[in-house]
Amino acid sequence: MAGSEGPPDILVVADAGPLIHLDELAVLDLLHDFRRVLVPEAVWEEVEGHRPEALRALSDVLQRVTVATQDAALLSVSQVYMLHAGEREALALCSQHPRSMLLSDDTAARLAAVNLNVSVHGTVGVLVRAIRRGTRSRAEVIELLKAIPARSSLHIKPALLDAVIGEVAKG
Amino acid sequence: MGVAIQAEIPERLLQQARLLVEHGWAESVDSVLSEALRRYLESHSEQLTERFILDDVAWGLHGRE
Repeated sequence: MAGSEGPPDILVVADAGPLIHLDELAVLDLLHDFRRVLVPEAVWEEVEGHRPEALRALSDVLQRVTVATQDAALLSVSQVYMLHAGEREALALCSQHPRSMLLSDDTAARLAAVNLNVSVHGTVGVLVRAIRRGTRSRAEVIELLKAIPARSSLHIKPALLDAVIGEVAKG
Repeated sequence: MGVAIQAEIPERLLQQARLLVEHGWAESVDSVLSEALRRYLESHSEQLTERFILDDVAWGLHGRE
């Protein structure tokens, strides 16, 4: 459980989507359950433009990072998947920290991460993980999942969201 | 045969598309937009998006850290 053992030693690199979506759902505190959360400069600027309150709410955990270099392989993959600057910088940071995990809700960015052998999860993963980590009850997480269409800008097909809720309810 | 649509896009993107056409890298702004849309749809397939979300659920419930 999170309370007794503290956050696991996972270095998270955040893309803008999960920061915005978790803040919209008022559960940014779930990111306290990771050791560190790095936010590349381009992602920081994107969130600042769309939802600056997310950065203020978690200022003690988020670490703004300037990404200096990006290797050729990463640039090629980024071009193939048409990634934004923030997604590109986030993947560059992940490649600099081998045991890191990318947080992204963008399918192309996630596909690029998989191809670069970078561990990647999104907003739904962080929400559901809260049950396993003991920071939210199963009932609370189900309510959060149900609230996604009304309270967040994360788009999930209703039938899939229903299936996710069913899976979470089953355990 | 293409279909005409009306959409708002950022001015900067339109300028970049026009430059590609002016410099001879693309046939028309229409073809640039169509190609961009095709590539987006390829890299954001519904099947893939669903798979990633289901992966998230499995990791969330049963992942090891």
